[in-house]
Amino acid sequence: SVEAHKEDKPQKTMEVNGLTAVPESYDYDLIVIGGGSGGLAAAKEAAKYGKKVMVLDFVVPTPQGSSWGLGGTCVNVGCIPKKLMHQAALLGQALQDSRKFGWQFTEEVKHNWMTMTESVQNYIGSLNWGYRVALRDNKVTYENAYGEFVGPHTIKATNKRGAEKLYTAERFLIATGERPRYLGIPGDKEYCISSDDLFSLPYCPGKTLVVGASYVALECAGFLAGLGLDVTVMVRSILLRGFDQDMANKIGEYMKEHGVNFIREFVPIKVEQIEEGTPGRLKVTAKSTTGNQIIEGEYNTVLLAIGRDPCTRKIGLDKVGVRINEKTGKIPVNDEEQTNVSYIYAVGDILQDKLELTPVAIQAGRLLIRRLYAGATTKCDYVNVPTTVFTPLEYGACGYSEETAVEKFGEENIEVYHSHFWPLEWTVPSRDNNKCYAKIICNIQDNERVIGFHVLGPNAGEVTQGFAAAIKCGMTKEQLDNTVGIHPVCAEV
Amino acid sequence: MGWEEAQARGYEEFVRTAQRYRGRAIFALFCGDKDAEGRSWCPDCVTAEPVVRKELHNLPDESVFIYCLVGDRTYWKDPNNEFRRNLKLTAVPTLLKYGTPQKLVEEECFKAELVRMLFTED
Repeated sequence: SVEAHKEDKPQKTMEVNGLTAVPESYDYDLIVIGGGSGGLAAAKEAAKYGKKVMVLDFVVPTPQGSSWGLGGTCVNVGCIPKKLMHQAALLGQALQDSRKFGWQFTEEVKHNWMTMTESVQNYIGSLNWGYRVALRDNKVTYENAYGEFVGPHTIKATNKRGAEKLYTAERFLIATGERPRYLGIPGDKEYCISSDDLFSLPYCPGKTLVVGASYVALECAGFLAGLGLDVTVMVRSILLRGFDQDMANKIGEYMKEHGVNFIREFVPIKVEQIEEGTPGRLKVTAKSTTGNQIIEGEYNTVLLAIGRDPCTRKIGLDKVGVRINEKTGKIPVNDEEQTNVSYIYAVGDILQDKLELTPVAIQAGRLLIRRLYAGATTKCDYVNVPTTVFTPLEYGACGYSEETAVEKFGEENIEVYHSHFWPLEWTVPSRDNNKCYAKIICNIQDNERVIGFHVLGPNAGEVTQGFAAAIKCGMTKEQLDNTVGIHPVCAEV
Repeated sequence: MGWEEAQARGYEEFVRTAQRYRGRAIFALFCGDKDAEGRSWCPDCVTAEPVVRKELHNLPDESVFIYCLVGDRTYWKDPNNEFRRNLKLTAVPTLLKYGTPQKLVEEECFKAELVRMLFTED
């Protein structure tokens, strides 16, 4: 016999904070927690399909009190200000080079931190506003409130004044991103800053100690030095873990030769304030990782860049049963970005084993929405995603690092072609003639298909983008050789 | 005290008016000049003005709304006019919150929701 079809009502109800949860109809089709690259892309896409969407975005201020507007890490305290400040440093170098090309100016060239920072923050402000307009225009509801799950299909949003509201949705997308990790040593939160503070710092950081060897650490150290500041990088072990180490070392060498000090195999154990100020003076005590040696140093600013932790531990995931990796805080998802709870999805930096990049989050978010609401089937392709590290000598890469290729295919099955090159623009000002470098890694067993591309030189990002498309098409070494070069550009190598 | 409106014609007068209200939140609507019959040469401004005026009651207390006529069509089309050069205006109508990157341009000004958002939110 056929059972009479009951209305789509859950048979169990749960007591949550004194309320019965799980209503029959929801306030929204989709609630997105986190208004960053992934979250906003998904929200706008869902609105295009006529879905009722809400975005909750809230920035918990840093220990130093820094906060920012809608748009997430990339826009406010990541890619965008980073690239602009990197550009500021490059322009400083260009001014020096320009004399050799005949430009004459008698004044000494100095850098004003406040002028740069104000311009950068102004641009970021226009992006924050642009996102607000885009959301409103697409009929996406936006609330500047901290979202956390309180029960099935139910979320609590708390605004900065502490007012709480409950919302329900058929589906949820977690896109809460990450925040910088602190060392857990005396003085770290009181006196140190992170990248969350750096790009809006209302005073020049002065003599700076950067702790860490991530791309964040090296990029920041790089542009600070390029702006004329005294910069030291304290590294616990290797540079750019996870990146091709051959390239990482070249980057480190270049930075060292261009005025960045490195303290290798030490970790800070204590930060004390010698003098208050903007900037003040700090004393850092560090211990060797290989022995008992203790060293001390004095700096105006200590910038921590030792890693980032996902914002997944305080959003009530336990209340809805979403499993996270307890050690890292990351959320494992299937290849459709779905968590272990069928109506909850996740995208962006918080995903386990996926690349932490803005374009990846955007792509994953958009494709997810198209699969949910437009009947699409395309899944996000995480393979052969190009990246660029904007250190003073830029590094672009796509595909396998040399180590990973050797590990996967065996040393005898891969062939590495490499070359040093001297950008034409560097010749006249007598800049380094043997630092720029490119290499491709080929799979001998597969027609010498190019499986890894690495370039170290100016505009590496621009160069890498085209090669990434070629790699996606399965370019082989022969095809690469048969492609006539553009002359005179770095990319012709 | 609620909000108040001031009017200005041309760049110099706009700057003087803004200076006069220094310290208060200033919102400004820039439109093309009007002829003797009160019609602007800028058709989008004609559409936008009533929409904006209808939302003025949402302006925060103590704020100022400056209604500014920029000039005639020829003046506006000059890529070097002071509004373009100094205020970075790219089109009329433009509705903006002075001293911030918050602005609405052209068709964005036709949307009451967006105008309200500009007037009421941080």
